[in-house]
Amino acid sequence: MALLVVFVLGCVYTPTARDTGLPIFISLRTQLDILFEYCEYGLLATGMTLVILSGGIDLSVSSVLGFSATFFAILTIGYGWGVPSAIAAVMAAGIVAGLISGVLVARFRIQPFVATLAMMTAARGAAKLISGGIKVQPAAQPWYALTDDTPGFFRWMTTALPGIGVQPATVLFLVCILTMAVIVKRSGYGRQLYAIGGNEEAARLAGIPVRRVKLQTYALCAMFAALAGVVNACRQDIGDPEAGFTFELDAIAATVIGGTSLLGGRGGMMFTLIGVLIMAYINKILSLNAVAIDRRMIIQAAIIVVAVLIQRQEKG
Amino acid sequence: MRLCAIAAAGIVISIAGCQAGKKTEDRLAHEGDPSKTGKKYVIGMSQCNRGEPWRVQMDKDIEEAAKAHPDLEVLFKDAQNKAETQQSQVREFVQQKVDLIIISPKEARPLTRPVEEAMDAGIPVIVLDRKVEGDKYTCFIGADNVKIGREAGKFLVELLGGKGNVVELKGLMTSTPGQERHKGFMEGIAGSNLKVVFDADCQWLEPNAQREMKSALSRFPTIDAVYGHNDPSAHGAYLAARQEGKGREKTIKFVGIDALPHEGVRYVKDGILTATFQYPTGGQEAIENALKILKGEKVEKNITLGTRRFTKDNAETGGEAL
Repeated sequence: MALLVVFVLGCVYTPTARDTGLPIFISLRTQLDILFEYCEYGLLATGMTLVILSGGIDLSVSSVLGFSATFFAILTIGYGWGVPSAIAAVMAAGIVAGLISGVLVARFRIQPFVATLAMMTAARGAAKLISGGIKVQPAAQPWYALTDDTPGFFRWMTTALPGIGVQPATVLFLVCILTMAVIVKRSGYGRQLYAIGGNEEAARLAGIPVRRVKLQTYALCAMFAALAGVVNACRQDIGDPEAGFTFELDAIAATVIGGTSLLGGRGGMMFTLIGVLIMAYINKILSLNAVAIDRRMIIQAAIIVVAVLIQRQEKG
Repeated sequence: MRLCAIAAAGIVISIAGCQAGKKTEDRLAHEGDPSKTGKKYVIGMSQCNRGEPWRVQMDKDIEEAAKAHPDLEVLFKDAQNKAETQQSQVREFVQQKVDLIIISPKEARPLTRPVEEAMDAGIPVIVLDRKVEGDKYTCFIGADNVKIGREAGKFLVELLGGKGNVVELKGLMTSTPGQERHKGFMEGIAGSNLKVVFDADCQWLEPNAQREMKSALSRFPTIDAVYGHNDPSAHGAYLAARQEGKGREKTIKFVGIDALPHEGVRYVKDGILTATFQYPTGGQEAIENALKILKGEKVEKNITLGTRRFTKDNAETGGEAL
């Protein structure tokens, strides 16, 4: 419903192309661009939804994204690794980061906000450390394997597939969020997640392995952040250690706008998809109209509040 | 509850409506009016981050220069320091079929492809301040940070009589301007007995510079000069020295870069900074060249802007060109 309102807003206030006079917002190209532009936030929000459902929060996703983008770039551009092995290594590193957060939360009972705040700082530092403080791009260091151009995969990932018109990065995001939607809804893991988020004590007494589920959740969340990092490196064509700065807030916002409760145990993955789309639409509409940043921020805030109100009403 | 949501939505729609409505109206007014002779040109300007005063000044310079030409309309967009956002902005301008794009890129590589796409679509692109890779653009206008850093170095060598302790408060060192302002400065002081005794990456931010300067002050009893990679850093250092309460802000020479009218030049006039070196925005030059391009004239592919030094003696009269 909120999504519909925002979409209609977009259709009403769309600028037109100066040659053909067609409204830009309604074109298929724009709609696909909107998804593409938000697929990193979408991947982060996918993981974030899992963590928030479990009653936690993960602030480290933005830094894990930055670290992964840098790590992926340095493996492929710096050391000349093949793309599949580099992706595997980046995902493994992401999972390790998530497991550390998970252990801090589940085993040492540090509050998720604090534990992931620590991981957020550490991962950003690690990104700067492995890159030597510079942006990783071909020939940035004399010893880099690639001196001319980034691997073709970078361009492939962010170029529309012929015929379908969708970028592989967008496909990756949609596959991830739809898979997780099914898992959260149908699997035992999903049910345990809701149970823990709803009432952790009750879940523990009911024999649910709370620690293990939490560990899995943080690991999954960081893994999605790592994938978002790969997408970011491809999109930017460099490995930027500063990448993803403050993205965690957008991921949390998208999750909450969708209707997942920050208290845990209520909400769902499809809500988050709607939340991501709402954020993406708002941004696109304001950007297309070249609304000045001062007004833009205020309008953005107002639309977010209204969207949350409408979403809440819907669930009764 | 439902009423509340609908009311709120109404408000938002009307706000957005005023915005968009006004725009279309005056665009229609211009396009639909046959008494207006000549074509109206639309220029899309994508600024990477209006959070920085220097970039706000650049937009202002462009706006001022464009005002003199009623046949120009400039659409300003701010990418809020995100290369991804800037990529989409360029693509939006292409979809909208503007007549010319001016871009001040956040980062070379990520913006290279969108700029190429715009050129392929037949839209000329002026690149301001930071470059893109390759040579698929119409015109690049930028200043030389290495030269500016070198001038600052030479100035301090002369001012201090060839020897002394210097604190260098650097900009973000993962960025090229930071690296180049450092490199130029080291070239400028090479061969003298000026020593950089303390340096720190302040990321262009005044509070960071103030904090780092406090550490420098507590570690070194004699500091002769501070070289800030931008004016706010030099100003922050001045404040730190004043807060120390030993009157050292009067003996230390503070030098900065950028020379914005309401920032560095003002500090020089107030006697806070000894000198500031202008880093020109190129906004005016961008509009001048845009007009030439739109009229089908040829322009130089790479334009390097000079710098000006502002000291107390010449700050009122617009500084001295170097």
